[in-house]
Amino acid sequence: MSDALLQTKSACFGYSGRAVVEDVTLEVPAGEFVALVGPNGSGKTTLLRGLLGFVPLLGGRVERRPGLRVGYVPQREGLDPLYPLSALDVTLLGTYGDTRPWRRSGAGARARAEAALVVCHADQLARRRYADLSGGQRQRVLIARALAVQPDLLLLDEPTAGIDSETSESIVATLDGLRREHKLAIWMVSHDLGPLRLRVDRLARVERGRLRIEAASR
Amino acid sequence: MNVFSPDFLFRNALAGGLLVGILCGVLGVYVVLRRFALLGVALPQASAAGIAFTFLATRHQHAAGAGTHVLALLGSAGFTFGGLALLTLSGRRSRIPEDGRIGALLAVASAGTVLFVAANPGGDFEVTSLLRGELLAISDSDLVILAAASLVTGILFLLFRREILLASFDPDFARTLGKSPVKADALLYSLLGIAISLGVMTVGPLVVFGFLTLPALCALRVAPRLGVAFAIAALVAAASSLGGFAIAYRADLPAGPVDVALAAALWLGVSGIARLRESMARRGALRVVAIAMVVLLAGFALGGCAGGTEPAEEPVSGAPAPLSRGTLPASQRPIAVLRFRNETGQSLRIASSNPLEELGKAAGDPFARRDPTVLDELEEIATQELARRGFVVLSTAETQRAVPTPPSDPGSAALAAKRAGLDTLVLQGTLRRFTLNPSRILLITLDLALVDPRDGHTLWTGTARHPVAVPAAQTLPEAVRDAGPQIFADAFSGG
Repeated sequence: MSDALLQTKSACFGYSGRAVVEDVTLEVPAGEFVALVGPNGSGKTTLLRGLLGFVPLLGGRVERRPGLRVGYVPQREGLDPLYPLSALDVTLLGTYGDTRPWRRSGAGARARAEAALVVCHADQLARRRYADLSGGQRQRVLIARALAVQPDLLLLDEPTAGIDSETSESIVATLDGLRREHKLAIWMVSHDLGPLRLRVDRLARVERGRLRIEAASR
Repeated sequence: MNVFSPDFLFRNALAGGLLVGILCGVLGVYVVLRRFALLGVALPQASAAGIAFTFLATRHQHAAGAGTHVLALLGSAGFTFGGLALLTLSGRRSRIPEDGRIGALLAVASAGTVLFVAANPGGDFEVTSLLRGELLAISDSDLVILAAASLVTGILFLLFRREILLASFDPDFARTLGKSPVKADALLYSLLGIAISLGVMTVGPLVVFGFLTLPALCALRVAPRLGVAFAIAALVAAASSLGGFAIAYRADLPAGPVDVALAAALWLGVSGIARLRESMARRGALRVVAIAMVVLLAGFALGGCAGGTEPAEEPVSGAPAPLSRGTLPASQRPIAVLRFRNETGQSLRIASSNPLEELGKAAGDPFARRDPTVLDELEEIATQELARRGFVVLSTAETQRAVPTPPSDPGSAALAAKRAGLDTLVLQGTLRRFTLNPSRILLITLDLALVDPRDGHTLWTGTARHPVAVPAAQTLPEAVRDAGPQIFADAFSGG
């Protein structure tokens, strides 16, 4: 395996034995910002979830660098607003991977979560209930949660969907800053290429279940 | 009553109800958050079906001692975990929605419970009592088992709280952290299974479902954080359990439904206060509301448990009953107490205090006397209690010479008395339950009917069904004699 954090060779992802995305060959080097784009139903989310290991691999190969830490930002609508969790509570979930059951989440974990909120410009939201936040604020908290994992690779599923253009631009700028400062690899599913066009290194287009990777035209 | 007194006879019942309430209240937060409410009805019903099935399969009829509770626990846990396994396994490949499968489990378990009880020839009263929850029958050993299981469940829940939260709130994110949401779900289901199995045996399926939902609804209405929600749910469950017990004790009502009604009242009260709080903009109002909630909960929990007036029917040992006729009709005609029919499924034989006589009986001595039974004692006490209420009563010896066998119902009692030439009213009785539990609480169900043999009319019916504490009784006859006045006061006061 090369220096890539993650690579696939002729990978095929799908459900119940039926392929949704086929013949995926890619490499994810550190510090690269990639936009995963394509029309509705083309298989973008399936590919992202395949890279995470949530969708069965029907063929080919997926190799992850040993010890790879992945931060995942799901679509925010999938989370239940009934849970009485503050923004800080949600961010703290990102530290749970490093805490053994019999250990308390100490001050270190809390500091990590608070730092992640600061990076995402969401520290002023820490005490507010997650369910009461706006779409853009929730997205910042979910990105902070993913950062609290201290990831090498950040995978985001449509983080700017349904958010006004100014907030979208701000979120993408935050991600770009993270990539530059922490050499974080970022793959982000998006419908709207607008705010991404000038910041991403490559475009990964998924059309009818096939992936095509091209250099971004800035 | 003073519940803190070491002599308080219902201490085990109170502690058992409290443990089950807190356990179900805390776990119920996840039942509500994860929309498992239907599961909260179906699993307790499956547990009840398990108890009924076990008693039918083993032909177990006698409900005294720890053996019965262990048997019930095995059946309860077996069917609860079986139901969970069935739902989990069928969910993997089924196209039927989850609520449809849970609904089917509820329907099958409900029907099964009724059929298992109906098919059990001798133990329907015992089994039905266990299915309603045997709060008063909790012995010291039952309480130890309940406390140990609650402790283990609580520790596991505390240790794996992060895993359970991750799996519940965002299972995909849990996977990215290397945590298995399947394992966390299995643990949560198992903890629920333990709480439900123990809870159904202790307080019955209705109360378990109530405790799994109402305290959690109350907590989630006002809690700003998940940890606070668990604390409020536990507090509401504890207040409902303690307050419900106190109210039920004073008002002579079944404790379980009172617990649930109280939890519902707390939910409505807290929801109303929360709505009021939301409509109040002033900062100071928040403090007022918080104080009001604490006062409300504390009042429910403690108000009825210490001090105050004594209940109308304080269980006492051997205390003389009030000499009131109760609902018995006034009549100048004498009453004959016929032999009571035994439908408990137990012999209720009272062993002789003479070892030689016992040896003789064991050797088949044809001249040995007929064994006295609890029923003989009850008939004698019935005679005395009727006399204490101003009735003229034939001696039991005279009556039993005339009608030597116990009639099965009021009609046959009238017929038998008429044939024997008794020109009196007759008291016919059927003993359906008689269990002296290890806490020296007598669980009894005795149906009585006063019949006029002239026209066969039933003039009055009554049932003794309230548990009676007999702390000083060392033997079965002592227990019957101590409880006797209370048993008949109970029956004669009903209609």
